[in-house]
Amino acid sequence: MNSNGAILRIRNLSKTYMQGKIPVHALNDVSFDVHKGEFLSIVGVSGSGKSTLLSLIGLLDKPTTGSVFIDGEEVTKFKEREAPKIRREKIGFVFQHFNLIPTLTAFENVDIAMRFARVPKSKRKDRAVELLTRMGLADRMKHKPSELSGGEQQRVSIARALANHPAIILADEPTGEVDTKTREVIVNLLRELSEKGQTILVVTHDVAVAQKTDRIITMLDGKIESDVKVTGKVKLKRAG
Amino acid sequence: MFDIIIKNLTQRKLRTGLTVFGIALGIFAVMVMGGMSEYFRLHVDRTFDLMTDKIQVWPESGFVGGTLDESTIRDIRRVPGVSDSYGLLWMPYDMESIGLFGSYVMGINPDKQETTLQDTGLEEGRYLLPGDRLRAVVGSNVARQFNLRAGDELEIKSRKLQRGSSITHIREFTVVGIMEFTGTDYDYVIAIPLDTAQDFYDIGRTVSYILVIPETGVDPENLAKRIELSVSNIKAFSPQELREQVAQSLVIINLITLSAALIAAVIGGLSVMNTMLMSVSERTKDFGLFKAMGAGTRDILVMTVGESALMGILGGIIGIAGGSVFIYYMNEFLISKGVVLFAITPELVVVAMMFATLLGTVSGVIPAYRAAKMSPMEALRYE
Repeated sequence: MNSNGAILRIRNLSKTYMQGKIPVHALNDVSFDVHKGEFLSIVGVSGSGKSTLLSLIGLLDKPTTGSVFIDGEEVTKFKEREAPKIRREKIGFVFQHFNLIPTLTAFENVDIAMRFARVPKSKRKDRAVELLTRMGLADRMKHKPSELSGGEQQRVSIARALANHPAIILADEPTGEVDTKTREVIVNLLRELSEKGQTILVVTHDVAVAQKTDRIITMLDGKIESDVKVTGKVKLKRAG
Repeated sequence: MFDIIIKNLTQRKLRTGLTVFGIALGIFAVMVMGGMSEYFRLHVDRTFDLMTDKIQVWPESGFVGGTLDESTIRDIRRVPGVSDSYGLLWMPYDMESIGLFGSYVMGINPDKQETTLQDTGLEEGRYLLPGDRLRAVVGSNVARQFNLRAGDELEIKSRKLQRGSSITHIREFTVVGIMEFTGTDYDYVIAIPLDTAQDFYDIGRTVSYILVIPETGVDPENLAKRIELSVSNIKAFSPQELREQVAQSLVIINLITLSAALIAAVIGGLSVMNTMLMSVSERTKDFGLFKAMGAGTRDILVMTVGESALMGILGGIIGIAGGSVFIYYMNEFLISKGVVLFAITPELVVVAMMFATLLGTVSGVIPAYRAAKMSPMEALRYE
């Protein structure tokens, strides 16, 4: 970890896409730090750059300029072929649509993430059982995603994201597909994980979700409009 | 990873089944056509193994029928370096149907049987003896075709044109011996005494071709050339020369049979590629997800190529099994007609299996590469 305690450092991050011959600045000179165990939400209107920011941190895309440091390591300087290693060791993804493999059971969906990290079979089994039990899914392990509710699927997805002990969990609209009650369960689960030291970045449109995080970064036109610590109720501008 | 591969394949049972069936058909063709080529190869190899020590002398016009006078044998014996020479008469058993396959009547001097057939054993009975007249020793395919046992009678016809009309003579020969299966021309032979054959076919003292045994230490190539120079209207082939000539014909047969099989197999391979391309396209989002989870290019390649290779292996096993069953029953059927056409060798099975695996693997490479090179970001957005 960096000397200032930041597990994630973003420095002057920019991303410009070409739409035909017209450059579109999706992200423009964004810098911020995230500390270990922090539960942070990134909010903003559609097209504000929050999902682009998440994909750059997750090495799903390459920035035009700027750097991302995770655990003090500049991950943006790594070559394309080195990206999978960083992803499996440092990052866990949670997606809005759960993105579970439909042919695999809940257990196998968690297990497969560890296979890519070459975790031995016996350890994989223990870890998958432990995580799914923690998520309250001990009796749903052998069920396929189609047999699980939205909330259960998202909890499997969170278990999968945690499988390889990542430094950061990146969650893109994790409550976007669930009802209010399930939203509470998911947010409380993420909160609980963060209290145990897991760093979590959530991209959300949902004010109620953002209110439950430690810190809210509001994006607008590819830039950080505000970056506030949540101490009580925060009024969010233009979010959602 | 193997369990994931199996899951992916069994998830789309019909598609996987049809693709495997496509490969199996291709490999079936490889087995059947390859089995035919293998039989020809083995047949020629074994036949020539019985002739490695002999030079063959043919009339310039070809060797079936009685066209070399026995005086030629005496002329050849006078060539320095010749230890012995003797003639054989070959006549088609069925005079009305001369084809590639079928039995032959071989007129042979009983004294020369051992030299000609070497260590070929007998399933039952005995070989011809000096003084035998209407006696025959038959090859194993002939025995099976006519369901013959030692002591049975075998009817042989000869036909002669006389004043524009065809006169057929029929004689019954007593089978005194049945040769064991050799995988050579001699499986199709009805051996009768040479002088009886010459009388029966009314061809005087002529033979179809002459076998020459060189003296010890004499180079057969050199001797064959000297025989050609010393005796007129003949062509002498050393064992090596004869093998090369037949090998050339075999190359053509092999090319025709194997290219037909290869086309069938390549069509099977294309069906694998098509299936895998569809499968990869359908699972674009899954591959994006795998990459987001940290799967490397190698993981995706192993997963995707593994699926196509497994389909190749399954197709190979089914194709080889199907081909073997077909060949077995075809040979059983053909043997009743006096012909064997296919041989399954370990080499053929290994080549067919390797080919099936390679076909599956190679066909999966392009779809796998496409999957492995997907941008995880775009793959995750794919709907």
